[in-house]
Amino acid sequence: MKYITTINGHEYIVDIIDEHKVSIDGVTFQIDFIPVGDQPVYSLVVNGQSFDAHVYPNEDAWQVLFRGSLFTAYVEDEREKRLRAALAGKVAQHADFHLKAPMPGMVVSIPVQEGQVVRKGDVLVILESMKMQNELRSPRDGKVVRVRVETGDRVEQKETMLSVV
Amino acid sequence: MFNKVLIANRGEIAVRIVRACRELGLQTVAVYSDADRQALHVRYADEAYRLGPAPSRDSYLRADKIIDIARKSDAGAIHPGYGFLAERADFAEACRDAGVVFVGPNPSSIAAMGDKAVARATVSRAGVQVVPGTEGEGSLRDDELLSMARSIGFPLLIKATAGGGGKGMREVEKIEEMPSLLSAARREAEASFGDGNVYLEKLVEGARHIEIQILADGQGNVIHLGERECSIQRRHQKLLEESPSPFVGDDEEFRQKIGAVAVRAAQAVNYVNAGTIEFLVDKDKNFYFLEMNTRLQVEHPVTEMVTGVDIVKEQMRIARGRSLHHQQEDIHHNGWAIECRINAEDPYNNFIPSTGRITHTLLPTGPGVRVDTGVYIGFEISPYYDSLISKLIVWGETRGEAILRMRRALEEYKILGVHNNIPFHQRLMDSHRFMGGQYDTRFVEERFSIEEAEESVNSRPDIAALLATLVAHRQAERAAHIILRNERDTSNWKWLSRWERLRR
Repeated sequence: MKYITTINGHEYIVDIIDEHKVSIDGVTFQIDFIPVGDQPVYSLVVNGQSFDAHVYPNEDAWQVLFRGSLFTAYVEDEREKRLRAALAGKVAQHADFHLKAPMPGMVVSIPVQEGQVVRKGDVLVILESMKMQNELRSPRDGKVVRVRVETGDRVEQKETMLSVV
Repeated sequence: MFNKVLIANRGEIAVRIVRACRELGLQTVAVYSDADRQALHVRYADEAYRLGPAPSRDSYLRADKIIDIARKSDAGAIHPGYGFLAERADFAEACRDAGVVFVGPNPSSIAAMGDKAVARATVSRAGVQVVPGTEGEGSLRDDELLSMARSIGFPLLIKATAGGGGKGMREVEKIEEMPSLLSAARREAEASFGDGNVYLEKLVEGARHIEIQILADGQGNVIHLGERECSIQRRHQKLLEESPSPFVGDDEEFRQKIGAVAVRAAQAVNYVNAGTIEFLVDKDKNFYFLEMNTRLQVEHPVTEMVTGVDIVKEQMRIARGRSLHHQQEDIHHNGWAIECRINAEDPYNNFIPSTGRITHTLLPTGPGVRVDTGVYIGFEISPYYDSLISKLIVWGETRGEAILRMRRALEEYKILGVHNNIPFHQRLMDSHRFMGGQYDTRFVEERFSIEEAEESVNSRPDIAALLATLVAHRQAERAAHIILRNERDTSNWKWLSRWERLRR
């Protein structure tokens, strides 16, 4: 089974030949890959080198944490890749961004207003949780719409507070 | 003399105090909020009583309930830990009125050190140098600040009274630029905190945050246990501490000098029990009193590791009216200790706190490693309290050995279920400036970025790609497998009956 896996914009062609054999960009490796316990922790031995990693899904990507570094990997098989290539250009470049509370907490301040134009990196909401004030920033340029919370509100995790379109 | 201690705290510090009591043969009483019924301190203590709902003000800050539980459970003493009620003079007083020993200083010492202006005035009278400035003088007008600026000297800092995180802060090089910087700072403070009050403080260049642990008994003996270096901070939250300080190193003369000043500051308020004097130290080793923490500190273990003194047990002995176990000349520093605070926060996402259930954890062990924690597999990190998961402390014969050991321990340490800052500490351990001990209090915010640090690391994106692909492949295969099995399981009988119906 052939996959195209992207990390930091670099594409790796990973072919899983069988349980103990893979190739990366055409180079074949002997591997031993097992999950550890009942957890998203995996032990991988490649050509005698041992790696212990925490691999978990995050939205449409995989997070790989090992040796103190975190990687975000997009894994697609050939069919998915073709599908996406066909769709590219049809999907709007900027999807709406919905600011969701990353944790339960209290809204301390909302330095923006409905309709305000913001730039990437601008603070949208300051949320207090675990005795810390956390600045939640806009990941892109846009306009603030649908502000659903007020200063002093308690919010649950993943609750949508406002959107940037 | 008491034989049972109530621990008015939670988390790792409550566990730490239970441990000290156990070793001394003292009975322990835990208190807990609804969010902490399953917490380790409840499970380890001899007795446990519910305080109330999860929010601190309904549980760990309910002084009345805590004293009531102490009375009912016949506990003769209360150890407040840190945070919550630890530095509340009224609580210490209420304990005394209820006939319960407060494991800490007298209410008057807490009050004297708790008020910034009083604390500065008190230690100044005892001949301790304070950072020149107007903090604690109340709100002053621009003309008053301008006239005081000359006596403080330049460069100086304008800081927001309600401040934090550098908001409303301005560096002033000379008096001419001060009026405009004052109004800018006031504007920013007003916008950020709704309070435009500012104060002036001498700018200590290349400032390091160095603190001295002291112990004082009821007989008037006061000793110091040397320094802790706490300059690795982010938004005034300490992230890593070490003892000795790489800045002090083997300058024993300086250590004894600053230690003696700390002892003097403690004596100025007739201090009893364990406490910490915080200093700002500039690059020429001038030091200025910042404040005194009239309690046990989070980072006390690094001092324990290098001196061999169990500070919590000493606190209990002092509270029982015994004199200090050690004299100043008995205190020797052996080797080097480093503590990393492991917090439930995402170092890749602006250090946003993370909540959730710890699904898996593997603690580092082996020579020279200590972990103080209150969590375990299945424990829920809630949004109600601070984000400290654990403290990882290592000891080495030299600073170099301690750093290498910390690297090894961080690599072993696995926590799953919540984001945590272990990768941040790993990058920090690789930083050349940290290794060289070349850092001040601005280091993390101004000179260190985890993203940049990761780019320079000799990492293996190819292996990461392989791992992600193998896991994705495995998941796809399992999903396909489940569908196939379900098809057969549910359909065999259906197929049979349909087939039979067809034949009819």
